[in-house]
Amino acid sequence: MRNLFLFFRKHYFYFLFLLLEVLSLFLFFSYNEFQGSTLYSLSNSMTGSVNAMFNNISEYFSLRKTNKVLIEELAKLHSRLPEAYYKADTNSYYIHDTLVKLEYTYISAKVISNSTNKRNNFLMINKGQIHGIQNHMGVIIGNKIVGQVVSVSRHFSWVMSMLNKDSRISGKFKKNNQLVNVEWNGGNYRKGQVKEIPKHIVIKEGDTIITSGNSDIFPEGILIGTMSDFTIAKDENFNYGRLLFSTDFNSIGYVEVVVDLMRKEKEELKNSFKTQ
Amino acid sequence: MTSRTVLMNIIRFVFLLFFQVLILNHINLSGYINPFLYIYFILLLPFSTPKWFLLISSFILGMGIDFFTNTPGLNAASCVMMAFARPFTITIISSGPESLIGDTPSLKNQGFKWFLYYSIILILIHHSTLFYLEIFRVTEFFSTLLRVLLSSAFTLLLVMVSEYLFYPKEK
Repeated sequence: MRNLFLFFRKHYFYFLFLLLEVLSLFLFFSYNEFQGSTLYSLSNSMTGSVNAMFNNISEYFSLRKTNKVLIEELAKLHSRLPEAYYKADTNSYYIHDTLVKLEYTYISAKVISNSTNKRNNFLMINKGQIHGIQNHMGVIIGNKIVGQVVSVSRHFSWVMSMLNKDSRISGKFKKNNQLVNVEWNGGNYRKGQVKEIPKHIVIKEGDTIITSGNSDIFPEGILIGTMSDFTIAKDENFNYGRLLFSTDFNSIGYVEVVVDLMRKEKEELKNSFKTQ
Repeated sequence: MTSRTVLMNIIRFVFLLFFQVLILNHINLSGYINPFLYIYFILLLPFSTPKWFLLISSFILGMGIDFFTNTPGLNAASCVMMAFARPFTITIISSGPESLIGDTPSLKNQGFKWFLYYSIILILIHHSTLFYLEIFRVTEFFSTLLRVLLSSAFTLLLVMVSEYLFYPKEK
């Protein structure tokens, strides 16, 4: 017993190293399980407020750009006002429309931390549970893709950016609705990978790729990017290529979170099939 | 170890942690280069630091960074690995006891060559652990290697510049 004790004392450096290393690796690999825990939301709300404070300062440097985006949005909205339409009839009637029903609403949020330089990038936004944000909601900027919500605390949300090894977005060619998958392989944050392009499709540089609407996360038609180059594979069943993201992930200031009002119904429908 | 050294190290710890989180983590050159200057703290711990303290303080530093980047364990694992390698690195590159002048490893005391080797070895250990752990895929081995090398070079540059800025050679 005494010898054992002396042995541990003599080599404590190695044991302490092993202990700490195993502890770190355990934390790292059980990261996903920790996302829902109290430790995680505590760290989220603490670091969230520090990041928010710093963002308050750095926000001033991008005011010009923010203004430009706002003005563009304003112009878009102005053109949708009733005053912008030509009136054929001076009388107006209220019609209760049962043909059209609201499917998506949007919650705007400010980005308080963002990165593009890691292999797995995340954003933090300043809206959370109390604003109605839930897991797996899509996040967009204008009409362009950003990512999806992966964790929510009371006031903040943690968004997995498109620039992440776990991001895999179902997209399609705008011109012929052919489905493809879009991923990011690291490196240049402007370029993404387009996978599983069927052999028979003629690809051209500059073809637009939009979301397919198959995934329950994004509505159909959100811009992902344009094809920049591609390879015709000889031995495989699919071609693959690269695209230029429409989103400039390095300059995201304000985003919109997509709320699918019919998501519950869709999920119930799927589950009812599974349980049968 | 004097109380002044202790105070200096505490200040350095806090300063480097926030400098990393608030400024360096936002730096991104051509998608590959991301400097990690915060490990300068581990490089500059005094020679007389107890080994257990070396490991524990590195672990806490790494966890501190992880706290802000939401990657629990990633930086901590890399820092502990680096702290573990530090005593061995010092033994290997020191030719004799005369090269351990002064209490803190520095360019001034140990000379350019010693400090350069010392930094290169430890920075490479830290960065390789960090980047390979972050990706954890064999398929991206070479693109990750490129990231490790480029980022290490950039961190090394920052370490050397800080060394000249804060501890200038006496004339």
